This record gives sequence, C-alpha cells and structure tokens, in this order.
Amino acid sequence: MADIEGLLHEVADAVISCKKEKVLEAVEKAKAEIPPEEIIEKGLSAGMNQVGVLFERGKLFLPHVMIAADAMTAGVKLLEEGMPAGTQEKKLGVIVNGTVEGDVHDIGKSIVSTMLQPAGFEVHDIGRDVPIRSFVEKAKETDADMIGTSALMTTTLQGQREVIELLKEEGLRSRIKVMVGGAPATQAWADKIGADCYAENASEAVAKAKELLL
Amino acid sequence: MAAEYALRMGDGKRIYLTEEKILSEIEAGSGNAADLGEIPDLSVDEIDKLAQILMMPGKAVSVEHGMEVPVTHDIGTIRLDGDQGNSGVGIPSSRLVGCMMHERAFGADTMELGHIDYSFKPVKPVVANECQAMEVCQQNMIIPLFYGAMPNMGLYYTPDGPFENPGDLMKMFKIDKARESMEHAAEHLTRDTVWVMQKLFASGADGVNFDTTAAAGDADMYGTLCAVEILRTQFPDMYIEMGMAGEMVLGMHGELEYDGVRLAGLWPHEQAPLAAQAGANVFGPVVNTNTSKTSPWNLARAVTFIKAAVEASSIPCHVNMGMGVGGIPMLETPPVDAVTRASKAMVEIAGVDGI
Ligand code: B12
Repeated sequence: MADIEGLLHEVADAVISCKKEKVLEAVEKAKAEIPPEEIIEKGLSAGMNQVGVLFERGKLFLPHVMIAADAMTAGVKLLEEGMPAGTQEKKLGVIVNGTVEGDVHDIGKSIVSTMLQPAGFEVHDIGRDVPIRSFVEKAKETDADMIGTSALMTTTLQGQREVIELLKEEGLRSRIKVMVGGAPATQAWADKIGADCYAENASEAVAKAKELLL
Repeated sequence: MAAEYALRMGDGKRIYLTEEKILSEIEAGSGNAADLGEIPDLSVDEIDKLAQILMMPGKAVSVEHGMEVPVTHDIGTIRLDGDQGNSGVGIPSSRLVGCMMHERAFGADTMELGHIDYSFKPVKPVVANECQAMEVCQQNMIIPLFYGAMPNMGLYYTPDGPFENPGDLMKMFKIDKARESMEHAAEHLTRDTVWVMQKLFASGADGVNFDTTAAAGDADMYGTLCAVEILRTQFPDMYIEMGMAGEMVLGMHGELEYDGVRLAGLWPHEQAPLAAQAGANVFGPVVNTNTSKTSPWNLARAVTFIKAAVEASSIPCHVNMGMGVGGIPMLETPPVDAVTRASKAMVEIAGVDGI
C-alpha cells in the first residue's frame, strides 16, 4: 500500500515539477502496479490541482501551468494506451468557456480553460466579448455538457443571467449545466440567476466541474 | 441577543454581524494575508482597533484630528465624465473643468490629466493635444497636476498591436516565443511611455502616474520599472507615482527580474522596494476585494498587506482605495460607510502616507 501511495506521490510531484520527461517516467513506473484511472485521479490530477494552488499563491507561473498541463496530457495519453477499447479518450465532459459580451477581461477566464483541459474536460474557449447567442450556439455545435461564463465587471455580470435565460428559451437548460465566475460573481449571484455553480478560482472551477459532471 | 452591526459583503450586500463574528472574520482575513504574503498577522490591539472602527455608530467615519493624509486621484477626470462602469458618474465636462473641480470642490491634493483611453500607447498620436490640455490646465490650477495613464501592455499584442499574443502562443505551448513576445512588448512600452512623458514634462506636467502597473503581468511591471528608471535619470525633480493593478504580480512570463528580484508572484511589500529602487516617489499598493467575503474579512486582509508594504517601503505609500480594492466593496459607487471605514483603518492601522 505504502508503495502505491509512494508511486502516486511520485506522479503528482513530477507534475508539480513541470517536467514532461519526469511525468512520463513516473507514469510508466506506476502503470505496472496501479490501474490507469487511479493514476489519473490520484497522481496526475492531484498534482495538477496543486499546480493550480501554487499558481494562485504566486509560487508557480503561467508558463509552468502550461508545461504541467502539457505533461499531464502526455501522461494521460500514455495511460490510455493500456486502457480497454472504448474507455480511451473518454472525456469527463465538454465545456464551452468564454467571457460575456461587452467584457474584454480574459486573463482569468483563459487560466480557467487552461486548468480544465488537463483535468480531463474537452474545453472550447470561445474568447472574450462573446455575444450571448454564441455561447448557446457553440454548446449546441459541440454537444456541450456545461457552459462557463466569465464576467469581470458589475456592468457585464448580467450577461451570465442572459446565457441562462437563452438556454431556457431554447429548451436546453436541463441538459447543459452553467458555471459562473469572475471577480464580481458570488455564490449568492449564482443562486439568484439559477446557475449550477460558482467558482472563485481555477482550481475550484475544476473541482466544481468534476462534482457536477461526473 | 447580542447586538448586531450593519456591515457589508464584498459585493456590497448589507449584512448584520455580532462583535464576536466581526472579530473572527478579522482574524481570518488577516490570517489569509499573512499566509499568502508570509507577513505578520495584525496584533491583538490592531484587531481590536479595526473592530472598533467597523462598529462605529455613524454612517460615515473619519480619521482623528492630526491624522489627515493627502488624497490624490487617478483615472484623470474619467471619474466625472466616465460612463463605462468605472466609478464615473457620466457628467459631461471638459478636462479643464474636471481637473479644477477636483482641485477646488473635491479637495484633491494632487490631480492628474488623463486621456479617455487612459493608456500610454493611444496617447502617442494625440500627444500634441495632450500637451496643449496640460498647458491650459496648468495655467488655471495650483495643486500639482500629473499626467496619468495605464501602461496597459496588452495593447502591444495582436489584435491591438504588433507582437503575437502570448496567450495564443501559450495555448500552442510555444512558451519561449510567448516570452519573447512579452519582452518585445515591454521594450516598446518603456520606449513609448518615456517618449510621451518627455513631451508632457516639457509642457509643464508636475509628475507622472503609472496607473494599474502589471495589469498584463510581470512583463508589464518590468517595462514600467524601466520607464521609471529612465525618466528619473532624465528628469531628476519630477514626481513619479507608480500604482499597481492588483495585489500580486501575475507571472505571465515567470522569469523576468528587476534589480535581481523576480517580478512574478510579488506581493505589495515586495513590490514597494522595487518601485523605490527604480526611482518612484510614491507607490500605490493594491489589495483586491473578494466579493464572496465580508467587509471585516476583506478590510483586515487589505490592512495586513498594506501595513507590511508601508513598513517595507522607503517611499510614501498611497494605497489604492476604490471599487473592489482596499477592502471596499465592488460597486460602481462604493457605499460611504464602507469607504470611510476602510480609509480610516488604512490611515490609523496600516499607517499609509496617502490615499
Ligand atoms: C487587467 C485588467 C484590465 C485589462 C484586461 C486585459 C485582459 N486581456 O484581460 C484592460 C486594461 C484591457 C482592462 C480594461 C478595462 N477595465 Co479592467 N481590470 C483589470 C484588472 C486590473 C485585473 C483583472 C485580472 O485580469 N485579474 C487577474 C485574473 C487572474 O483574475 P480574475 O479575472 O478574477 O480570474 C480568476 C477568478 O475570477 C476566476 N474566474 C475568472 N473567470 C472565470 C470563469 C469561470 C467560468 C469560473 C468558474 C471562474 C472564473 O478564476 C480566475 C483565476 O483564479 C481589474 C482590477 C483587479 N485588480 O481585479 C480591472 C477591472 C476589472 N477593470 C475595470 C474596468 C472598469 C475596465 C474598463 C471599463 C476601463 C475603461 N474605462 O476602459 C475596461 C473594460 C473594457 C471592457 N469593455 O471590457 C473595473 C471593473 C469595474 C466594474 N464595474 O466592475 C476593474 C475592477 C478595475 C476597477 N476597480 O475599476 N482591464
């Protein structure tokens, strides 16, 4: 048991070190002892979560997050080679993420997209200042399970409500979850507009998306 | 039942808290800053004082006699004529009128002239116009009048500028290319701000305000520090104020250093000495408001960070106080109860030199 934990730790630490070769090495080692799903969940994802936390604390920076994400994706690919047919490349869910119309702030939204991807979601980042209708159109086109909306200004928050209203109009609300974020958004706001969840930062966004879509 | 005091959430919502709850929120907020910044918590006396300020019965409160500090303004006159959700009240007025209103009606101790775009890059083609406005304002005004704008380095990336957008490059995992793009943008930022300020100093500006430094991350801060350094050498007597965009310098590049210090991930108390080193006269630290937390939590957190910055700084610190910063809720017109309490706490506990 201790050995298995040690191996998982090694995988997680390799992700945190942001070195692709180290991640691949650790995954290769763990593969012989531990089922791939467990390596992804308790090794790779656990490491990536920690990367998110270190980023928010100012200890790791965007290039590191990107390299760690890339390394994690490579690790997952390696594991998928050993998975039974049909389970390969199975995504946790499809998420459309963007900043609402009238709002050009996209730094935080892009970080959220960056963190969701290696966590196992198929992410379609549709950019900033995105018309409300485009969120819904893109969700239809990609058969999305969730829409993420970012708003950084009190004046553009309303766009998050409008996305939900349009989903209702189109009869898609029960099928597509909605996650809201951005500095002025709060849990209370999410409750008020009937969003499924609110997340304060990128690592919380990953945790909440998993909660909702798994 | 214990008495309850009217306070707010970070999004401005009215809440009522008991003294016990206020104290525990203050401790938690201060603890959060201490943990992130690796700085001291507020002392028991400071926590008590902050609670007293928050529980004062008056709607507006003020500093004690003799503790008044200078108040200066950023964002030019957009606070009056702005109508884009940025604390502006949408009153059409010329910039001369706006500047003079700040001087003669609002009690500003220094003022700044700023363009509606409020970034250095778009000022380049209209710099003659800005110089003329500066001269006219200077002929009518007494208080020091600065020229203010945002470094806003994002304007040098595609689609707004010449260099490939590092965000796009990062998505393709072209990390080195992304870093090169940031370095080029920082060079242009330095060059443009120095050029613009040479003209404005020649037209009588008393100083310059770099507002929202590091909005585009560590390279934005690097470009700004270099500009401060050059301007200090060329204009030894000019006032240079450097205000920040957020509490922590976002590490978009991750490896840029100034004076041997890595810029990514710096907190206010680590930023202040670099501003001084580059040659700034005034540093404007920022602490962001968390809209999901209470005002005691936010204010205690902000005061803890700013106190450490004031202590670490060899130049005066004028803390940024406004919508969503400095323990003030995120509202277009920040409520007076919250603004005055936060201001009093910043002066009397954090020891700021100005606001
Ligand atoms: C950088 C910045 C800019 C840059 C944006 C560059 C870019 N490409 O994004 C520039 C200079 C272009 C800019 C422009 C403007 N800005 Co601005 N800007 C900021 C600033 C300083 C930082 C924002 C930021 O990037 N933070 C860092 C990131 C990492 O944090 P974040 O965005 O909060 O994201 C995190 C979480 O919120 C969450 N999250 C984010 N999105 C999502 C999405 C989902 C689905 C989830 C779950 C989570 C989530 O996770 C992220 C990672 O942890 C803020 C002030 C501040 N300090 O916050 C003002 C601020 C947001 N801006 C403001 C304003 C007013 C403007 C302008 C209107 C100014 C003007 N007069 O032109 C324009 C906006 C034009 C427009 N139409 O949008 C105001 C908004 C006020 C309001 N009404 O609410 C602020 C608060 C400043 C202020 N106090 O006045 N700005």
